[in-house]
Amino acid sequence: MNVLSGLINGAISGATPILLAALGGAFTFYAGVFNIAMEGMMLMAAFCAVWGSFTFGSWAAGVLLAILGALALALIFIVFAVWLDTDEFVTGIALNLFTLGATTYLLRQSFGVKGVFAGPGIDPIPRLQLPFIADIPILGAILSGQNLMVYVAALATLLSAFLIFRTRFGLQLRAAGYNAASLDSSGVSSARMRAYSLLLCGMLCGLAGAFLSLGYVVLFSENMSAGRGWISLAAIILVSGNPWGIALISLLFGFADVLGLLLQSYQVPSQFTAMTPYLATLVALYFYARRHRKERRYVNR
Amino acid sequence: MTAGGAISGECSQMPGAAREPHLAPPLIQMRGIVKVYPPNVLALDDVTVSFAGGEIHALVGENGAGKSTLMKVLYGLVHHDQGEIHYRGRAVRFRSAGEAIAAGIGMVHQEILLVNEYTVWENIVLGAEPVDRLGRIDKKRARSEVQAIIDRFHFALDPDAVVANISVAARQKVEILKLLYRNVSVLILDEPTAVLTPQEIPQLFAELRALRDEGHTILFISHRLEEVLELAERVTVLRKGRVVATLPTAQTTRCELAALMVGRKVLFSSRRTPQPPGDVIFAVEGLCYEDEHGRIRLQDIHLHVRAGELVGVAGVEGNGQLELVHVITGLLQPTAGRIRVAGVDLTQASILERRRYIAYVPQDRGRMGSSLAASVVENAIMTHHRLNPRLTHWRGLLLDWRRAHHFTQHLAQHFNVSMPGHSAPLRALSGGNQQKVILGRELLLECPFILLDQPTRGLDVGSIEYVHDQVLAMRRAGRSLLMISANLEEIFLLADRIVVLHRGGIVVDLPAEQATVEQVGRYMLEGKG
Amino acid sequence: MGRVLNAALGIVIALTLGALIMWAQGYDPLASYAALFQFSLGDPYALATTFKNAIPLVLTGLSAAIAFASGPVNLGQPGQLLMGALAATIGGLYLDLPPLAMIPTLALLAMAAGALWSGLAALLRQVFGMSEFIVTLMLNIIADYFTLWAITYPFKDAAAYSPMTPPIATSGWLPEFGDWNSGVLWMLAATALMWLLLTRTRPGYEWRIGGQNALFARLGGCPVDRNFVTVMLLTGALAGLAGGLLIMGGPHRFLRGLGANYAWDGVMIAIVANNSLPGVLLYGLFFAAIQTGALGMELITAVPSEIVMVLQGVLVLVIVASREALHQFADRLAARRQAQRRAKHASLVESAEQA
Repeated sequence: MNVLSGLINGAISGATPILLAALGGAFTFYAGVFNIAMEGMMLMAAFCAVWGSFTFGSWAAGVLLAILGALALALIFIVFAVWLDTDEFVTGIALNLFTLGATTYLLRQSFGVKGVFAGPGIDPIPRLQLPFIADIPILGAILSGQNLMVYVAALATLLSAFLIFRTRFGLQLRAAGYNAASLDSSGVSSARMRAYSLLLCGMLCGLAGAFLSLGYVVLFSENMSAGRGWISLAAIILVSGNPWGIALISLLFGFADVLGLLLQSYQVPSQFTAMTPYLATLVALYFYARRHRKERRYVNR
Repeated sequence: MTAGGAISGECSQMPGAAREPHLAPPLIQMRGIVKVYPPNVLALDDVTVSFAGGEIHALVGENGAGKSTLMKVLYGLVHHDQGEIHYRGRAVRFRSAGEAIAAGIGMVHQEILLVNEYTVWENIVLGAEPVDRLGRIDKKRARSEVQAIIDRFHFALDPDAVVANISVAARQKVEILKLLYRNVSVLILDEPTAVLTPQEIPQLFAELRALRDEGHTILFISHRLEEVLELAERVTVLRKGRVVATLPTAQTTRCELAALMVGRKVLFSSRRTPQPPGDVIFAVEGLCYEDEHGRIRLQDIHLHVRAGELVGVAGVEGNGQLELVHVITGLLQPTAGRIRVAGVDLTQASILERRRYIAYVPQDRGRMGSSLAASVVENAIMTHHRLNPRLTHWRGLLLDWRRAHHFTQHLAQHFNVSMPGHSAPLRALSGGNQQKVILGRELLLECPFILLDQPTRGLDVGSIEYVHDQVLAMRRAGRSLLMISANLEEIFLLADRIVVLHRGGIVVDLPAEQATVEQVGRYMLEGKG
Repeated sequence: MGRVLNAALGIVIALTLGALIMWAQGYDPLASYAALFQFSLGDPYALATTFKNAIPLVLTGLSAAIAFASGPVNLGQPGQLLMGALAATIGGLYLDLPPLAMIPTLALLAMAAGALWSGLAALLRQVFGMSEFIVTLMLNIIADYFTLWAITYPFKDAAAYSPMTPPIATSGWLPEFGDWNSGVLWMLAATALMWLLLTRTRPGYEWRIGGQNALFARLGGCPVDRNFVTVMLLTGALAGLAGGLLIMGGPHRFLRGLGANYAWDGVMIAIVANNSLPGVLLYGLFFAAIQTGALGMELITAVPSEIVMVLQGVLVLVIVASREALHQFADRLAARRQAQRRAKHASLVESAEQA
C-alpha cells in the first residue's frame, strides 16, 4: 500500500507543473494564439522562484517573483506578437531561447555557480495537512499532505473551466479563437482577448515554474523545465484545450514519469527511464492522430 | 458579376420604385472623403454624399469602385485620410465598429462574420452579454431577449440552433438581428443578395421594408441593378473611387445606371454564337462520393461535355460543387464511378496524370490557384515544369530559367497581363491580372478539357469581359469546357447547356435556349422546376 | 536593401541592450565589446576559430531553413546532430581506412544517422499523421538520453572518469591548414550546393512553392507528400553532418554535453535569416563570432560569457519584429503622401472651378 501511495504521490507531483502550464496554454489556445513560449515562462519562473526564496528567505516571495518573471515574458510576447503582429511561432521560439540564455547567465551572475544551485537557504513551498481528510482510511494519505501547489492546481482547474465556459469573458475569449473578425465586428477587441489570455498563461506558468524549483525539487538547474512546456503543448492539443481533459492527461504523464523511476529498480538504465514521459507523449500523439485521421481529406499521391 | 448584372436580354426600360424623395435634413453627411490603401491604391477620391433618415439608399458600382470602402469608413472599420463625416448634425469619426454601433449605426458584411461553433443566441449577444454579478452569463435572460426581438421582427429563427447548421439566408438574418439587439437605427448591408437564391430575395426585401417603415434607415451596396431599382428610393453610383451621380430610382433605368457605372455604353447581349458540338471529350459516369463522416456528397453523377461546348453548372454553394471539382482534379477519390477525358480513363490517375488532359482554373485564386508570395514566373510555370520538357534539362532535374522567362513573356503578351516585372511577387498584381496569369497558365497547357470554377469572382468589369472572351475563344477552338459558377447571368451568357446540382445530384440538364432564370432558380432551391 | 537595414538595426539594438545590461551589472561595456571583437575577428587565429565554430551553426541553420521554406516543421536538429555525431564516432572507433576514404565515410555515416532520425519523424507523419513538430521535439530529448547511455555504457572509454568514448582513429580527424580547419570547406560547399539545389533545380522549385502553398503545389501536379519525406531526410542529413564534423574536427570523441550549445541555434539562425541560405551563412558566422569572442571577453572583463545567449535571443526578436514593422511603416508613409497629394489636387480643382 505504501508503495502504491508513493507512486500515486509521485504521479501527482509530476503532473502538477504540466497541469498548471497546460491550463495557462489552454487560455491562449482558446484565444487563437499559437503559444509555444510555455517552456520559457516555466524556466524563468523556476529561476525567479529560487532567487526570491533564497534572497528573502520566504517561499511566498519566491512564488510572487516567479509569477512576475513569467508575466514579464508574457508582456514581451504581447508586445511583439499581439501589438507588432510578429509571427507567433517565431516570437515563442525567440522567447524560449532568450530565457534559456538569461537564466543561465543569471544563475552564474547571482549565485556564482554553473549548472545547479541548491542549498539550505532555499525555502521550499510547504505541504498542506488537511485536518479531517487526513484521517480517511486509504485516500487520506493521498488527499492530504500534498504540496500546497497541488491544491492550487486543482483549484485552478476548476476556476479555469468556470471562466472559460460560464462567463462573458470566456464566451468572448473563445470567439476570439473561433472567429476573431466576428468578435471585432461585435465591438470587442480580439487583440485584447489574446493579450488577456497571455497574461493568464504567464500567471499559471509562473505557478508551474515555482513548483518545479521549490516543490518538485528544491534547486535550480540549467534548462530545468526539460521539455515540460512541450509536453503541456501536446496535452492541450490532445484534448483541444478542455481543462478537465488537461487534468486527466497531466495525470497520465505524471504516471509515465513515475513509471520511469519504477523501471530503474528493474535494472533499466536511468537514461532510458528518463525517456518515458517523452515516449508517452509520442504514444498519446499516435492515438490523437488516429482519431483525427478521418479528417485528412486529400489523397496521398 | 458584370456591369448592370443584366447581361442576357434587353435593357429594361422600367423605372424604379416610385416613392417621394425625402426633404428632411440629411441624417448622414460624408464630405470630401479620401482613402489611400498603402502603398498607393486610391480607393476613395474626394467623395461627397449624404443619406436621409428613414430611406432605403443603394450604393452601386463595379468591383473596386469604392462602395465597400466608403461604408467601412462610415462604420469606423477603415480610417479615412481626408474629409469629414456628420451624423445627426454633429461631426463624428468612429474609431472602431464598437463606437459606430454605440451611436446607432450597424453594418452587415458580405462575408458572414458569425462564430459557427456558437448558437444563434450566443452570436447575437456576443459583446453585449447580459451578466450577473460574478460575470457569469445570464443564459435565461439572454435567450428570452433574443426570442423577443426575433418575434418583434418576424424573423423565424431558432435561438438554440448552432450557426454551422443553419442556412446562409438564416445566418444573414442572425447578423441583422445582432445589430437590432443593440438598437441600431441605421443598417448598412454589403451585397446582401449575393448569398441568396432568387426565391429567398423577396422575403429579405419584405423584412427590410418593414424595418424602414419602423423608422430605420437602410443603406445597401449592390451591383444588381434590378434589385436596386425595386427596393431603393435613391441610388448613388460610384466609379473608380468617385461619386458619379445620386438619383431617385423612380427617375432612372437599368441602362442608365449601368452606363454610369462603367462609363460607357454597355452591350447587354450574349456574344456566344451557336456552333455544332463535336465528339464527347469529357465524361463522368455514375460518380459518387461519400465524405469521411459518411454523408453522401455526390450521387450518381452523369455528365458529359463535347468538343466546342461549354456546360455551366449552377447550384447553391454547398450542394456538391466543391466535391465534384475535387474529384475531377484528383484531390478526392470517388467512392464509385468513372472519369474519362479524350478516351482515357482517369479515375485512378494521379493529379499530374490528369493535368495532361485537364486544365483547371480554381475558385480561390490565392488559396488554390497560385502562390502569392512566389514570383510571376514561378507561378506561370507550375505544371508546365513537369509537362513541358523544354523547360528542364537533365531528365527534368534542372530548370531552365531563361526559357521560363520567355514563356512568361509569351503568356503576358498573349493574355494582356500588366505587371511590374517577371520577378515581382504575384501579390503585387491586381486581382484581374493575377487571374489572367492563372488563366493563361492553364489555357497554355493545351488540354482538351478545361475546368473553370467561379472564374470571374471578385474581378472588375474589364477583367470579366476579358476572361469571358478567352473562354469563348477556347470554345471556338474546339476545346470542351465545364464551368461552375454562382453567377446565373454568367452561365446564361456563356453556356450551351445548363446543369443544376442539388444535394449532390444533377436535377436537370438542358440547353440554355430552353431555360429561364426563374426556372433554374427553382431547381437550385428545391431540386425541381 | 531592406534586409541589410533590418539586420543592421537589429544588431545595433541588441548590442545596445547588451551594453545596458553590462553597465547595470557594473561591467565596462566598451571594453567588453572590444574584447569580443578582438577574440572573434581581431586576429587570424580568432578569425579561423570563428569560422570553425560556425560550422555546426551554419549546417543546422541550413537544415532548419530548407525545412521551414519547404513545409516540414523540422525542429529536430539537436537530436539529428547528436545521432550523426554518434554514428561518426562509432565508425571512427571500428573502421580504419586511409584518410581520403575515412573522412567521407564517416561523414556519410553521420548524414545517414541524421537522416534516419528525421526520417523516423517523417514516417510517423506520413503513416500515422503525427505532427512532425511535436515528434521531432520529443526525438530531440530521446536522442539526448540515448546518446548519453551510449557513451556511458557500451562505448565508454574505460580509462575516462566521466562518460565519453575513446578517441576515433586519427585517419578520421579533419586536416587543418595552419589555424584553419578543413571543416570550413565542407560548410561552404554545403551552403553553395544547397543554394543551387533550391534555386536551380526542379525539386527545389517544387519544395519552395510547396512550402508557400501546399494545396496549389498539389493541384499543380507536384508530389507533395513524397517531397515532404525527401526534405525531411535531406535536412536530417545536414544536421547529422554537423554532428559528424563536430567530432571529426573538434574533440575527436563523443563527450557528454556535446552540441548542447548548438541546440537551438540552427532554428534561430534560420528564422533571423528568413530562410535565405546566403543569409544563414552570414548570420551563422555572426553568431559564431559573438560566441567565440565571448570566451575571450570573459577573460578580459569578467562578463560571464552566457550573456551572449541573451544577446542572441534579443537579436532574433528585434530583427523579426522590425522586419514586419519596417514594411508597414514604409507602406503607410507612401499612402499618406499620396492622400495628401489627392486632397491638394482636389482643392486646386475646386478653386479653379470657382474662379
